[in-house]
Formats: sequence, C-alpha cells, structure tokens
Amino acid sequence: MSTTIDVLQFLIIVGIAPLIRGVISRVKARIQNRRGASIFRPYADLWKLFHKEDLIPSTASPFFRVCPMILFAATIAGAALVPVLHASSLLGNRGDIILLAYLFALGRFFLVLGSQDGGSAFGGMGAGREALVSTLAEAPLLFGLIAVAVTAHTTSIAGIVGWTAARHPLELSSVHAFAFAALVLVTIAETGRVPVDNPTTHLELTMIHEAMVLEYSGPSLALIEWASATKLSLMFALIISLFAPWGIVTGGSVLGIAIALAAYLPKIGLLVVFVAALESSMAKLRMYLVPEFLGIASALSVLAVVFTVFKR
Amino acid sequence: MIEILFNSLLAGLLISPALTLLAFRSRIARHLPATVQLVALIAGASAALVVLVSNLRHTVDIYWLSPFPFTLAVDRLSAFFLLLICAVSVPVVLYSTAYIARHYSAQRQRWFWTLFPLFLLSMVLVVTADTAFAFLFGWELMTLFSAALVMLDGCEGERRRNLFIYLLMMHAGAAAVFGAFLGFLPNTGLLEFASLRASAPFLAPAMRTAIFLLAFIGFGTKAGIVPLHLWLPKAHPIAPSPVSALMSGIMLKTAIYGFIRVTFDLLGGGPAWWGYLALAAGAVSALLGVLYALSERDLKRLLAYSSVENIGIIYLGLGAALIFSAQQVPQWAALALTGALLHALNHALFKTLLFLGAGAISDSTHTLDLEKLGGLFQKMRVTGTIFLVACCSIAGLPLFNGFASEWLVFRTFIAGGDLPGAGASIVLLVAAGVLALVGGLAASCFAQLYSAAFLGRPRTQEAARAHDVPKPMQIAMALLAATCIVIGVAPSLAAGPIGAIAQQLVPGAVAIPASDLLFMPWVACFVVVAAAIWLLIPRISRITPTWACGMPGLNSRMQYTATALSKPLRKVFAAVYRPDRTVRTVPSDQPFFPASISYRSVRTTSFERSLYRPAVDSIVVAAKRLRRMQTGNIQVYLLYMFLALVAALICMRFV
Repeated sequence: MSTTIDVLQFLIIVGIAPLIRGVISRVKARIQNRRGASIFRPYADLWKLFHKEDLIPSTASPFFRVCPMILFAATIAGAALVPVLHASSLLGNRGDIILLAYLFALGRFFLVLGSQDGGSAFGGMGAGREALVSTLAEAPLLFGLIAVAVTAHTTSIAGIVGWTAARHPLELSSVHAFAFAALVLVTIAETGRVPVDNPTTHLELTMIHEAMVLEYSGPSLALIEWASATKLSLMFALIISLFAPWGIVTGGSVLGIAIALAAYLPKIGLLVVFVAALESSMAKLRMYLVPEFLGIASALSVLAVVFTVFKR
Repeated sequence: MIEILFNSLLAGLLISPALTLLAFRSRIARHLPATVQLVALIAGASAALVVLVSNLRHTVDIYWLSPFPFTLAVDRLSAFFLLLICAVSVPVVLYSTAYIARHYSAQRQRWFWTLFPLFLLSMVLVVTADTAFAFLFGWELMTLFSAALVMLDGCEGERRRNLFIYLLMMHAGAAAVFGAFLGFLPNTGLLEFASLRASAPFLAPAMRTAIFLLAFIGFGTKAGIVPLHLWLPKAHPIAPSPVSALMSGIMLKTAIYGFIRVTFDLLGGGPAWWGYLALAAGAVSALLGVLYALSERDLKRLLAYSSVENIGIIYLGLGAALIFSAQQVPQWAALALTGALLHALNHALFKTLLFLGAGAISDSTHTLDLEKLGGLFQKMRVTGTIFLVACCSIAGLPLFNGFASEWLVFRTFIAGGDLPGAGASIVLLVAAGVLALVGGLAASCFAQLYSAAFLGRPRTQEAARAHDVPKPMQIAMALLAATCIVIGVAPSLAAGPIGAIAQQLVPGAVAIPASDLLFMPWVACFVVVAAAIWLLIPRISRITPTWACGMPGLNSRMQYTATALSKPLRKVFAAVYRPDRTVRTVPSDQPFFPASISYRSVRTTSFERSLYRPAVDSIVVAAKRLRRMQTGNIQVYLLYMFLALVAALICMRFV
C-alpha cells in the first residue's frame, strides 16, 4: 500500500507539472486582461514536440541527445524524494536534502554540456549565465534545507515532513519563516521565473535558460521542457511539504489520501497565484542584479541557520 | 602472507631502477622494469587489503641498515594510504609505458623509469614509516625524486624558477615537520612512533600546541592549503603528465596521512581550536582553490588549483573531526574522519584520471590551452567518455564517487547543529554553506572545462586533427574511471572499511552510520532506468546546421570560450581576482577608431603580492646585511666557529 502511495505522489509531481505551467500562464493572462490559452496547453505542446523530428546540429556529439535524458532522469529522481500525500517517498526515507540539491546539479551539468555542443554563441551565453545563477543559488538552497533539517534533527526529507506534520502550525518558529522566504526566492531563481529569467522571452540576448536550449527541438526539447516544469512542481511540493504539510497522512487509508490530496491542491494553487502575480507585477532584473537577489536569499537562509542554534 | 606481499613491493620498487639501467638497451627487456613495478604494486595493494581486512599489524625492521632506528609498519591507517598509493599507481605505470615512449628520447625514458619507482618507494616509506627517522627520510626523498622527475621536461627559464619555488617551500615545510617530531624528544628520547605516542600525554600543553602548529604548517605546505599553496600551481603543471598525476593524486595525500598520524594518532586529538584552525584553512583553500581554477585556461594549472580545492574539502572534514572529538561526540568525529579519508581516496582516483586525461589531450593536440581545444569528443571518443566520468566525479555529482565523500562531510556538518555549544554549531553549519558554494562552483568549473575542450567546434587546426591515444593509455584511464563509478554507485564498499579505520583513530567511537549511504544504488538504478527509457523510444532525427540567426558562416571563433563562459562568475567574484588589465589602442589619441588594439590581463594571486613578496624582500634585505660577516678571511671564520661552540656550551649549561 505504502509503495502505491509513493508511486502515486511521484506521479502527481511529474504529472501535474505541465498543468502548473498552464495555470500560471492562464492566471497571468487574466491579470493582464487577456483571455489566455487553455490550462492544458502545455500537455498539447509536449505531445506535439514528442511527435516531431529531432534536429541535431552538425557539430554535435552523441551527448547532445543524451543530455536531455539525463536532465529529465535527474529531475524526476528528485521528484521521487519529495513527499506529497504521505510522509514517505519513493526513493526510500534516507534520500535526503543533500542528494536533492546535488541531483539538480547533475541535471544542470548535463544541460550545460548539451548547450555547448551546438558550437554557437547562444549556448555559451546561456550556460555562463545559468552557471552564475545556479552556483549562487546552491548555498541558500542547501542552507534553507539545512535549517529545517537541524530543527527536525534529521536530514531525510520524509523525516522532516513527518516532524513538521506532527506539530501545531503556531509551534513553528522564526527558523521556518526565514527558511521559507529563502526557499521561495531560490525557487524563483532555480526554475528561471521572472524576475531572474523570463521563460517566455523570444529575444536570444536576454535569455538564460532558453538560450541554453536554443538548439534543441522535437522530443529532446519536450524532455527539457517537461524536466523544467517538473522542477517547478517539485520545488512547490517541497516548500509545501516542509513548511505547511498539514493534511498529509501517516496511515494508509484511501479516505486519508483523498483528504491529503484535497489539502494539497489549494496550497499549490496559492503558490501558483503568487508566482503569477509576481511575474505580472515585476520586470526582469538586470543580469548583474541577480547576485543581489540571491544575496537576499542567502542572508535569509543564514539567519534561519543561525536561529536554529539559539532556538533550542 | 603479508610479509611476502609487502617485501615484494619494497623489493620490486628497489630493483626496477637497477633493471632499467641494465636492461633498457635490449628491445625485449625494455618493458621489464614496468612489469616488475606493476607486479610489485599489485602485491603492495594486496598486502594493504589483507591488513585492512584482518587488522593485523605488520612490521619490517631494517635498523641494521641505518644509523637511526628504521622500522616500517603497516597498521590500518598506513594500509589505507598504502592501498591508495599502490592501487592508483598501477594505472599510472600502465599509462606511462605508452606515454613516455611517445614523448621522450631513449635517455630521458631511462631516467624516467629509474626515478619513477624510487618516487613511488619514497611515498611508500612515508606512509609505512614507524619511526620519525624513517618518516623524515622518506619525506625528503619524496621531494627530491619528484623534483627530479619534473626536470625530465628540462629546466630552463620559468621552469627553473618554478622548480626552485617548489624545492624551497618543500624544504621549509620539511623543516616544520622535523620541528614537530623534535618537539616530542625532550620527553622520550626515542624515535619510534610507539614511544612518541606513549609520551604524548605527558607533554606540556605549550609543547603540544607547538607540535600541532608545526605539523599543521609542515604538512599544510605539502598538502597545499592556502596560503601555503603557492608552489602547487607552479610545480604540478610543468611535470610530465604521469608525474603530475602522481604528485596531485597521491603525493598530496601523504601530507594528509602525516597530519592525521601526528594529530589524531600520536597526539591523540586536542582542544577544539585545532579543529577550528583546520576548518578555517579548509574553507579558505576550498573556496579560493575553486575560484582560481574557474578563471584558469591552462588545463593542468586548472587541475592544480582544483587540487587545492579538494585538499580544502579534506581539511574541512579533518577540522570537523577534531571539533567533534574535542566536544566529546566521538561517533560524529569518526564519521567526519571517514568523510575526509574517503575524499582523499576519491580525489586520488579522479585527479589522477584528470591529469592522465590532460596528458592524452596534449599527446593528441600538443596543447593544454583550453582556448585552443574544442570538439575533441568527435575525434577521441574513448578518452572523451572517460574524461567526462572524471569531470562528473570531481564536480561531486550523484552516482559518481565525489558525491559520496562530500555527502559524508555535509552530513557531519549538519550533525554539528546538535552540538551543545552554540559557537561550534554555528561554525559547522556555516562550513556546510561554504561547502555548498564550493560544490556549485566546482560543478560550473568542470562543466565549462569539459565543454570547452571536448564539445562544440575545434578552435584550432591541431584540435581538428586530434586522434585517440594508444590502447594502454585508454585502458589505464578506463580502470580509474570504472573505480570512480563503482565507489559512486556503492559508496558503502569503501566507506565501511574506512569507517573502521576512523573508529580506531577516535577513541570511544561506536558503529559508524555509513549505512546511510545505502540509498545510492537505488538512486543510481532509478536515474539510469529513467534516462534509458528514452533511448528505447524510436525517433526520427535529422542533422542540420547550427542556428546562427539565419546567417551563414558560423565559425569556431563565434562560440563561447572557457574564459567567456566563466565571465559572469568572475565578474561577481572580482574582489577575489583583482586582475591587472592593460588595454592598448594604437593610435592612442583615437580610442574609437583604433588601427590595432591589444588586451592583456594578468592575475598574480594576491598572496604572491601581499604575503610572499614582502617576505622575500625582507629576506633579501637581511641577507644583504649579513653579507658583511662574510670576509673571506679564514681566521674570522674560525672565530665564528669558536663563538658558536661557546654559545652552545653556555646554552647546554642552563637548559
């Protein structure tokens, strides 16, 4: 039973990832007084891309096609670490915060390799910028997670979630508040949303993530798109599970799972509306202001970590 | 059993130089020295494995050969480093059989095969020495033989200067190590490690501090912790590739061994500030090492800076171990030590592999400048794949071995959050943040290195004409790469036995929670299956030209170079680099319509400028003053000797 739930919650993270994207762009459209595309549009896009041919640059090595696969695999392995409905996860309860951060690094590493294989300037442009953002985001991401882990006395994500779920919301302290703020900022940076990167931009010179994947097309592009949607969905799930897991079940009854799902969807809806509102109300930051943005995240996460020590 | 194996290691390494000198002329016996070395190294590795498994101590006493007590002993800690030396050298010897023959004249080849086993032997001496004399003997020989091997490529101009800095700093370090051992002598008078260990509890606290600081500086110089790393990026890149591989991969680890032997074993741990010192040195080395590596465009110098970074990570683990044992939490101290030792092993594997890979690149393209490479994967499929494994390992990516040891170090830092003292907790948690930043920078650095060298378009004719290297070189590199993957997928294989060593070194440590790493095989299966599914799905693909905004004529000068790739990060960390830039436009009065423009950016490290330069200048000034004493008159020298003798006698009277 518990394995079934683990598979189910894994499929939820990976499966609703395109839907989250669709809803965000729909909400954004509404804020901007447009009608917007269907919220299921990203699924149709993926379907279309999977049925197209793969265009491979003449300079590319065999890595070019392998890189998106590794990116996708590493991202969904991360998704298999995060609990959604039940305080456990598919890759065992030992799979921990450090592994999660480094799985992101694994995917990114191969995406950078893939971007360079075309031998054009755009790949390098994107890769260099992505290196800047992701490197500076790595420390606040781990710091935020460490603060929560130290408070819960375990590094296993499922363990932390179980610990938090057993507490009253008002028992959570400043540590959780700071870590939450830091992780939200990191999520925005890591998943390439405004104000760090604009996922809908069409100008190569301002792109970060999109410049890296400029040479990709067809099924390879579909995998990359799906992986980056999954990353957003995964970060949302992580934030919800770490900071507001209430509703998550420890038993295995069908009713409990249904309640957990019913509790999960509004929370993710809140995050989606938040991101859409943020993207509609802010302009993209200048490239060299991004370190300052991540500096705020780092400062918040350092505060979270320092407070863990004084709080006990 | 152990006796035979260990003695054949010593004998094999001792006789192979003689074999080289005797048999190198003959065509058939030419490969004899290498074969003897391979057999000896395999025997040595087996001896080490036997000791690791059985925990039997093995000693060889050769006092009869030497004026001072000279004993070799293999206990668990020695066996671990012996295994590291022997096992990693096997592929290096195999690689050298092909590499050296392709690059050097017969005479230089003979020199190589004479000095190389002696260099290996000196490192074996260091890690198995059981008396201070044997240790220092091996320590000195190690410096001299490595310097001699560096000279194989000649010693003119800049090379001579770099070699001089190497020798100078090594001897300063050796003096500190010598001082550390002398510190024990007033209490025991014997040179055996056992008696040093027994006398340690009775040392005065000030003397213990002095011994620790001397050991920290002495071994730190060899290990290359910042700011004592100055020699490392100068000496490693100028050696022949197999020698650089040994120097970076193995020789640096003998310093880690020495530090652990003196601090944990002989002194038996110490106050918490020892740990803070090691932790701070580790954090600074790791961060600056990787930042300098990031901005480097010479492949071997980049790898040398990355060694500084990895030594920093090892010192982070050692520092955490010292802090935990001072705080009376032995099981976490043991885990931190396990992390440090595992990282030493991992670094030996992937750094050796990277230097051998660099050798393969220079063998095939005759350059190590990243701006002149590119597109090598198309021409060197095997080397390219192996090099990718090494890059992933050193970047600490999951499924590769670097992740396992970084994970252990991280895990202990997070456990630091549970310590009773607020100060220790905050320091350890902040160190975790430093490690995270270093991990991110290392991943960027090696992704850039790999894409600049192996992907995209070739940037020069040489790179376009590259070809793969001979089979022995490929096999040697493949052996190392396979080990990296095995340890990465099943880290418990290595972490278990290493945990047993750590348990012995930290008194009171109970079982090690290394089983926490058991998730790795599952993650590996998951990732591999999830990636492989897509390979099975058939799809149509077509080869097209790269997108160039619709314009023709995309060429290799338009793709990003390694320097360009790291520009955003270098700009953010500009305070660290502080480069000297000069832009010269001709004619200078028309800056917007130049006939020619040249740009030059030199990065002298700030240490050279602000730490070493004043020190060197003041030494020169002092030497000039002292010159007045040198009259050339023999009576005056006799007077000096007489005065020195009287001074010594007076000292003896009052001490």
